[in-house]
This record gives sequence, structure tokens and C-alpha cells, in this order.
Amino acid sequence: MSVPLSQMWTVATYVLKQRLRRNRRYPLVLMLEPLFRCNLACAGCGKIQYPGHILRKHLTVEQCLAAVEECGAPMVSIPGGEPLMYPDIGRLVAELVKRRKYVYLCTNAILLKEKLEAGLFTPSKYLSFSVHMDGLREEHDEAVCREGVYDQAVEGIREALRRGFRVTTNTTLFDGASAIRMQMFFDEMMDLGVEGMMLSPGYSYSKAPDQEHFLRRQKTHELFSKMLSNPKKSWKFNQSPLFLQFLMGKWDFECTPWGNPTYNMFGWQRPCYLLQEGYASTFKELMDTTRWDGYGHKSGNEKCKDCMVHCGYEPTAINTAFASWKGFKATVEATLTGRL
Amino acid sequence: MASDEHPLEGWDPGAIDGDGLAEVVERAFDYRGDVTIVRRDGGEMVGYLFNRNADSPRPFVQVFAAAGGDPVSIPYADIRSIRFTGRDTAAGNSYAAWLRSREAAKAAGPARGA
Repeated sequence: MSVPLSQMWTVATYVLKQRLRRNRRYPLVLMLEPLFRCNLACAGCGKIQYPGHILRKHLTVEQCLAAVEECGAPMVSIPGGEPLMYPDIGRLVAELVKRRKYVYLCTNAILLKEKLEAGLFTPSKYLSFSVHMDGLREEHDEAVCREGVYDQAVEGIREALRRGFRVTTNTTLFDGASAIRMQMFFDEMMDLGVEGMMLSPGYSYSKAPDQEHFLRRQKTHELFSKMLSNPKKSWKFNQSPLFLQFLMGKWDFECTPWGNPTYNMFGWQRPCYLLQEGYASTFKELMDTTRWDGYGHKSGNEKCKDCMVHCGYEPTAINTAFASWKGFKATVEATLTGRL
Repeated sequence: MASDEHPLEGWDPGAIDGDGLAEVVERAFDYRGDVTIVRRDGGEMVGYLFNRNADSPRPFVQVFAAAGGDPVSIPYADIRSIRFTGRDTAAGNSYAAWLRSREAAKAAGPARGA
């Protein structure tokens, strides 16, 4: 695994503090969406289908920082929309780094080289560009519905690495993904020099144009088992090994929808990053008034039935590592040996 | 007008209240286009209905007006009707359209990198 020690330490002490306080529900990563506007229209994305006047809006930096303080999570992921289109992205990231938040700036990297050359960002252990890469050139360009984006992303990654930034990749897998092609992709990303990779099966957004290619549970287990049962030592993953083992079918986890709370111009999204069932005006209201038992695999909620996405299950995996000797031992073993 | 592809676009449910209003509010909340909210005093507001709270002692919807500004809360009790006047941005088949254009491009010339 490739998560830096300082980040591991921050997360570990945060989780232990929550457990000592007997805080059953706590946030791990704030999903901060400063805007919905994007320079791509990917087939599997249900995040950007809004009227023009909504797409032209964005949160202020002050609104973003207030949400970060209110939530208190040690990590902040900035998806969107495309965050590099957010006019104050440089200032927002600088403020978050100043607050020692570990920031994952999730970008398609089309604008990355341009923004780096403009001097918008300073390398920091707290900042990682998390570049959207859904596979090798052919698969990625197909997933994002535009030719040439893979090459642009690779160019952006190279530039960021050259300038000393942390770079990870995030990959969403859909039905029809080839385990062998994905293994070739892992090799390619590691050769490129990224710090680590993040993987997740896609979620069947009701608003996404493509509804036919989302992975169901059994297929997810089969695909991830094929891909990861004999991982190369060179492959580094920037996520909990228990989450990857869950995707392989080795753990039976329940969703932690409050683990990655989402804030955007509509407020605090209920119940999670993927479902939009309403908005709370404060983080406390979100935590106190959401009917959490109505969500997750075992709840019987049809929308949660096949979901195995990292925003719900990675917090479960991290919590499991601290909640039981079995989880702790499995995490340490996988971290030290690289075996899943 | 409503169609199979845009089932709610153009829909005008007429004057509504009670359970009918609650149902139309739910549909408007799920709709990814602007709606026109007709108030009981005859005033109208065009905007994106992004939230509703039916459990509140005084149920309300929240709307970003298309004309701009901060979100506005409107109590259910003040709403006479909601018309689905804006384009449904989630409807359509952009993935299928992209596949078609890709196939057309391939047919028109040699594939890049081939």
C-alpha cells in the first residue's frame, strides 16, 4: 500500500479518538463539491445533469472552509464537476493545506498542466492530485466519451510528478472490464511514477446516461479476484487493503454512508455521495436526522443492493482495521507483504 | 410536451394540494430541469427545485431561481401548482449518441493508432 506514514498516523489517531469517545458515526473524508460544472460528460456520471444556471454557480472558498470546519474529517476530497474549473481552486487548496487536511483533488487532468504552469499549487504532503483514469487509452477514452483525454491526463500526471506533487489515480470499473487489460493499466500507471492507485466499481446513478454497464456484486467479486489475487509487488494502492479484499469477496462489509459526507451548493447531501434524497442545512442536522438504517446492502433498499463503491465501504474497511484484531492483522499483513 | 424519453418535460399537473402536491413535489425534486412554481397568490417563480422537507412542521421546498440569487424557501401551503417547464438535462441518450458518432467516425476513416 502507498499511503504515506504521516497520513496513516493522522487517520489512525483520528479513528482511535472517535472510538475512545464511543462516537459510533463519524466522518472520515469530506466530499467537497465546489461546483458541478465539468469539461467532460462521461457516460457513467450522474453528477453534472443540471440546468445552465446551476452549472454556472459555485461555492465560495469561505463556504467550503466552513463546511470543512463543521465536518472535522481529516481528509478532504474535492470532486465535482471538474475542480480545476473552480476559479478559486488554488486558494481553496492552500487554505486546506494550511489547516493540515489531507486533500485529494479529483481531476480529469485536462487542465492540470495549464494550472500547474500558472503556479496555482505548491507541492505538499497534504496535497495529492487524484487523476481520473478508467483504464488504458482505449478504455479510458471510451469511459469519458472523448478521444485524446487519456493522453492529456498522462501529460498532466507527468508534469505534476516532475514538479514534485503527489499523484494518485482513481479508477472506476464497469461491466465488461478486462482483468488482464486492467493489470496492464496498473503496470502503466506505476511505470509513470504515480504514488498509488484507487479502484472502485461504478455506481448505477439513476441520472447517468449509461445504465447498462454497472457491475453487480458477483461480477465485482470475480473481476477484482482475477485482477488482484496475485498482485505484483510494484503495484501500489492508495486505499485500505481490506476494501480491496472486500471487492474480491473476502469480507462481508456493510455500508458506512456517513463516512464520506458530501457538501455542495445544495447543502449536506443525504444520505451519501451517490444518492440524493435531500439536503440538510448543517452537518449536525445531516448526522442527527438522516434515517441511516434505511441504507446499505442489508437494509433492503433497492438503490443500495449492488453498491460496493469506495465512498460507502472504504470507511467500513478502515473502521474494521481498528475494531478487531482480525481486521488489524489483515491490514498489517497486506500492508507489509503487498498480498491481498 | 412530455414524451417517452422526457416523461416529465412540459408536464402541467394543474392546481394541486394535499397528497397530490406532495407527489408532484417529489417528482420535481427528482427532475433535473427547471420548474415553474405557481403560488396561491398568482405569482410565479422559475428555478431549480433542489430540496424539499415534507417532515418539517411547515413543509417547504427550496429553489435556486433561474434569474440568480440565494436559494429561496417556499412553504407547500403557498404552492398552487408546479409546471415542468425546463429541459430535463438527465433525459436523452448521450452515451448512445456518443457511441453512434464514434462508430460513424471509425467508418469514415482509419482508427487512430491502428
